[in-house]
Amino acid sequence: MNLPGPLFVVGSLLAIAAGLLILRRFTLIVAWVSAIAAGAIAVFVTMAPLDQTVDFGPISVTLGAPLSIFGRVAVIEPVDLLPLTLIALIASVLFLVAWRLLPRSSFFATGLAILALLSGALMVQQVVYAALLVEIAALLAIFPLAEPIVDEQGNRYSGGARGGLQYMVYTTLALPGLMITQLLLEQFAIFPNDLGLLQTATILLAFSFALLLGAVPFQSWLSAVATDGSPPMVTFLFAVNLGAVWFLLLAYLQTYSWLSAQAAFGQLFTLVGLIMMVAGGTLAASQNRLGRIVGYATLVDNGAMLVALGSRHVTGLSLSIMMLVARPLSLGLMALGLDGLRRLGKGDDRVVTLAGAAWQVPWRTLAFVVGGISMAGFPLSLGFAARWGLYRLLAEDNLFQAVLALLSSAGVMMGLVNTMRLLVTPSRSSADGHLPDEGSPVGRRGTREDPVVLAMILALLVGTILLGLFPQLVSGIVSQMTEEFTFFSQ
Amino acid sequence: MSPFLHWLDRFSDFASLPAAWGIFVAGAVIYLISEWRIRFLALLVQYVFVGVLFAGIFDTRPEMALLKIIVGWLISGALLLSAQIRWRTVRAPGRLVSWATNLPFRVLVLLTATAIGWLASQRFSLPYVSAELGLACLLLVVLALLFFGTEEEDPTIIGVGVLNLLSALEIFYTAQDPGLLVSGLLVVVSLLVGLATSYLTVAEVPS
Repeated sequence: MNLPGPLFVVGSLLAIAAGLLILRRFTLIVAWVSAIAAGAIAVFVTMAPLDQTVDFGPISVTLGAPLSIFGRVAVIEPVDLLPLTLIALIASVLFLVAWRLLPRSSFFATGLAILALLSGALMVQQVVYAALLVEIAALLAIFPLAEPIVDEQGNRYSGGARGGLQYMVYTTLALPGLMITQLLLEQFAIFPNDLGLLQTATILLAFSFALLLGAVPFQSWLSAVATDGSPPMVTFLFAVNLGAVWFLLLAYLQTYSWLSAQAAFGQLFTLVGLIMMVAGGTLAASQNRLGRIVGYATLVDNGAMLVALGSRHVTGLSLSIMMLVARPLSLGLMALGLDGLRRLGKGDDRVVTLAGAAWQVPWRTLAFVVGGISMAGFPLSLGFAARWGLYRLLAEDNLFQAVLALLSSAGVMMGLVNTMRLLVTPSRSSADGHLPDEGSPVGRRGTREDPVVLAMILALLVGTILLGLFPQLVSGIVSQMTEEFTFFSQ
Repeated sequence: MSPFLHWLDRFSDFASLPAAWGIFVAGAVIYLISEWRIRFLALLVQYVFVGVLFAGIFDTRPEMALLKIIVGWLISGALLLSAQIRWRTVRAPGRLVSWATNLPFRVLVLLTATAIGWLASQRFSLPYVSAELGLACLLLVVLALLFFGTEEEDPTIIGVGVLNLLSALEIFYTAQDPGLLVSGLLVVVSLLVGLATSYLTVAEVPS
């Protein structure tokens, strides 16, 4: 039996996800199977040639063969290969990270299903179906997002309705714009002189992506999700779901080249991006909850990516993709740190509650801070390489914008420094011996951190610093991705 | 066209405008009355009116309109169950009809929003759809925005708002492209919204 690539990728992930839902009590099995499945898809998509058939026993797969359902076509094109690989790899690593953090969670099964749907969204040709698949993936994400973490003592951490509700509302508000855009573009094909159709389509598309990316004034869902959700799930959402949305945006710009050719494109993207950066930096600097710092750091990062695209330059496109590649590392570290700190505070992540926590959970604190530094785009991290390139690119045309972007990143850094100051300041409660419960997976003074979690923290720390020192290790992949998108001529 | 389909087409043409206003009245009941049994009944009625509008859109496939009604009722049932669980823990059983808080404010906001929705439908008719369907879409969007704006602490009502928004989108989009795949995916989205809302409604209830 010969299967087309889209059916194999989406179908196999969905089938495994369904099986894992039944086995969710066995965290070890579920985490490893989901990580291996996502990793295998990443390897397959990277290695298999598009035009040749690969045999898996009775099944053979042609990666580049189209799948047609009711006349609608999904096909893996060369431009899709690296985005598919990237989101599958990120998901695979996050499943491993979540192995020790989310026992008996639906995150693994749901995560695989979300990965399948987002992969489908990247492969499908029509805007309307991509939008619907992204919406379904977002709705599935709500379940693990609102799921509380229950530890061995029966304590419940994270999990709240507000983040999930806001995410549901904002993604659903984005749906009509994306769907109606398709109608307008079909009308434009019939009436090519009606430029009003193009104008309306541009406005609707911009509005929808602003909602999906949490642009100001629609940013509240980012902080709500980061506050309520479990750290691995939030990282998944910000890296995989938002990553797919970014690649969809790039795919739209590629397909509808008139979008980026419009005179206002660069100014609009730069303005919206800078507003996001300034708002995110200001809000992050004044936060007293760790989860919100993650949310606002992501807002600044999204803004920086929009500013990079607004340059209408191939270098800007490369920089935005590099930021997208750097994000999972930074957020993964922050997730590991935030998880431990939240457990220590029994679900409360206010810095006042966690004063002195750095002496009780030093590795988790280090992970949170280094991840935060990377998200803020400060040295030594891959994020720094990308942000520094952005400041230089901006400074060529407008020094004020470059300074504004730098100050916004500094805002995230200020929030982190303030947090760090309190986390290392011994509080009365810690001096009185306020320690986590017996059996808590969080390390205590005098006891050792969970070795698996420690190994993951060390691996991500080394990866972040190594890529910060030698960004050329990923710049080749980034250049390869950039070459596929040809909507910027210079 | 069979006599039944012909009759159904004529009925839906005749009933489109009342159905549009029926949707709005049902939404207004959900907005103004906070007792969940009443809200549940209003939601059931609202989906019947939505079905009437769909009968006009899918004039040769009335089973699609029936499907919309059945899916809507399924979602309503799920929302009722979770709302009951939530209310049992957060509020003692009260009277059958308990008005929502800030009733005068809500009435004022509702009247203003209705006026805006109606005037908008008169001044800026939605492209590609009939005036009645356009009015229904605008009224559903108005209701959704009201629910989002004033009920942000109640997951069930926010969920109903999302469902109203989806109904408006379904009416508008499927009037243009009544394809099975889009309709099927929109049904999946609606069901997932219902499930997610039910889950979020009970997520913060202490076990």
